[in-house]
Formats: sequence, structure tokens, C-alpha cells
Amino acid sequence: MKNSFDEKILEEANDWVNANQKVVLATVIQTWGSSPRQVGSRMIVNEKGDFSGSVSGGCVESAVVRECIGLIKDNKPCKKLEFKVSNESAWEVGLACGGEIAVYLEQVN
Amino acid sequence: MKLQTLKSIIEKKKNKSEFAIITNLSNGESEIFEKDKSLSKEMQIYSNQINEFFKLKKNGVIENSEIFVETYVLPIKVIVVGAVHIAQYLVDFSKSLNFEISIIDPRGYFASEQRFPDMKIINKWPDEAFKEIETNENTALIALTHDPKIDDPALQHALKKKFYYIGALGSKKTHENRCQRLKEAGFSGEQINSIHGPIGIKLGGRSAPEIALSIIAQLVSETYKK
Repeated sequence: MKNSFDEKILEEANDWVNANQKVVLATVIQTWGSSPRQVGSRMIVNEKGDFSGSVSGGCVESAVVRECIGLIKDNKPCKKLEFKVSNESAWEVGLACGGEIAVYLEQVN
Repeated sequence: MKLQTLKSIIEKKKNKSEFAIITNLSNGESEIFEKDKSLSKEMQIYSNQINEFFKLKKNGVIENSEIFVETYVLPIKVIVVGAVHIAQYLVDFSKSLNFEISIIDPRGYFASEQRFPDMKIINKWPDEAFKEIETNENTALIALTHDPKIDDPALQHALKKKFYYIGALGSKKTHENRCQRLKEAGFSGEQINSIHGPIGIKLGGRSAPEIALSIIAQLVSETYKK
């Protein structure tokens, strides 16, 4: 098995830390059913809510950003989030694609 | 994750070493796993499972545990023969992918620093150049000169070493002649048919970036077939 895509997201996380920003790594650790990004996909979020990378196809990123900011505010080291299939009501966070994912948040410290 | 761990991951990626990150999800502690290095005490009970993930280049949570394993895969070596216009775009496209390109071109005026800033260009004939590069069945070859003097020795090397992807630029006619020469050189029909020629998937475009895109698309698709 080969992988033709290299996410340079940890390199970017390091740049953010060097610029004195607080950084949370959000990593897809489990998926069930059809999910847009595979296990190991990652995004980073800083205390202002700037983010880079992705953990889904745009379905849950806003919730992940909120949770990451919360983690920094509460000064907690880590947290696990699970996202399930959304019902169809507009703007609700969930995976329209019908999958489920678990995302792990951890602060760089 | 500790900043120190983050920094050593980046360092290991730079040094092209194979490793995995092991994270204890219950407390956020993580460590780096390498083939011949022992794990910390608390991770040792998962040693078999971690090795299994590492061998299969798999990411995931170990069953009935709170341990997440993330394996880092080495970049794929891609040898481009011919420092031509298309090669400049191949270099651009591969920047966001996990391909590590080396360019071989004995013609100094093509392989200039100005045309390929920050690129490793081997300004030698392929037979000489391949002495400097370690290649195997995980290597890819893109032959772009359509000059038999330069392309043929590289194609022969790639066939002998069983590269997983071999592509050669040139029209159908050029490719027919090329196949004939390889046949005369003693290569089997099966070997010759494994060469993608004319190179690339059919996109319709004829400009250098469009051809480069069609080549990269074919390379990615062949990478996942294996």
C-alpha cells in the first residue's frame, strides 16, 4: 500500500507554534460507513479559530473549530468527539454522506 | 502532543525514515515508534498490534483499547528523464503529493538551476545516473525526452528493476518503434506492455501543464492499484 498524498499539516502546526499561537490537532481516528476523509486525516486550529486541513468534507469542521477553542480556553489536554449522520434540518452539524467519524483533539504543549 | 514530539516527527519525515505515532487517547500522551526501537513500558503490551499496523501501513485504534496508531509512509520515488517543459509542471504538481522527483538529463542546457530551482537534477546519462539512485519495485519512471539515446537505457533499467509505473512520452508511432527496439533488446511482450505509452490518461489537452496533469493522474491511479 502506498500513499500518494502527504499532508504537510504538522509542519504547519509547528510554524503556528513558532508564531506563538496555541494549536490544537484534530485527527480522524475512526470512521464507520462512508466518510469523506480517511483515518489519520487532520486539521489544526488556533485560539482565534483559524484552521487548516480537514477532517471531513466541510460537514463538521465548524463544530470541531468550536470544540478546539473550548479546549484551549479550558486548558484541557485532549478530547474525543463523535459525529453521526445528520438529519436533514439545515445547518445542523452532522455528516450528510451517511457516515460516522470519531475525531480526537489534542493540544500541542 | 508534546511540541518536542511534533518536532521530531517533522525531522523524521525530512530524513525519510519510516515510523508511526502511538497515542494514548485516554491521556493524550504520544510517542514515536520505529522498527528497531523499544516502546515505553505502558505501550509494550500492544507491541504485536502496533507492529501489525506498521507492517500493513495502516492507521487506526487498536481493538478494545484507547491506543491510536498512525503510520507514516515514505514518499514515492519518481524518476523523470528529460528536464523538459512538462517536467517543470510535474515538479509543481508533485509538491502537494507524496512524490519525490529526481530528474535525469545529460543535456546541461535543459537541466539548469534557473529552470528547476531547488531541484535535484542529475546531469548524466541514465546508465550513470542510476548508479546514484537506489531504485526498486516501488519506484516510478516518467520518460519524457522521446529520444531513444536517452529514454531507452532508462526504460530498460526500469523494466529490469520492475518499477511499479513506467510511462514514456511520444506518439503512437514513436511508441511502436520504441517497443520494437525493446523487443530486439530481449524484453518480453508482457514487460513491454507494462509501459504506459503514449503516457498519461486521455484528458484531451496538449499544453505542457495539461500533459503533466494527465501523467500525474495516471501515476496516482497506478499507485493505488498496487
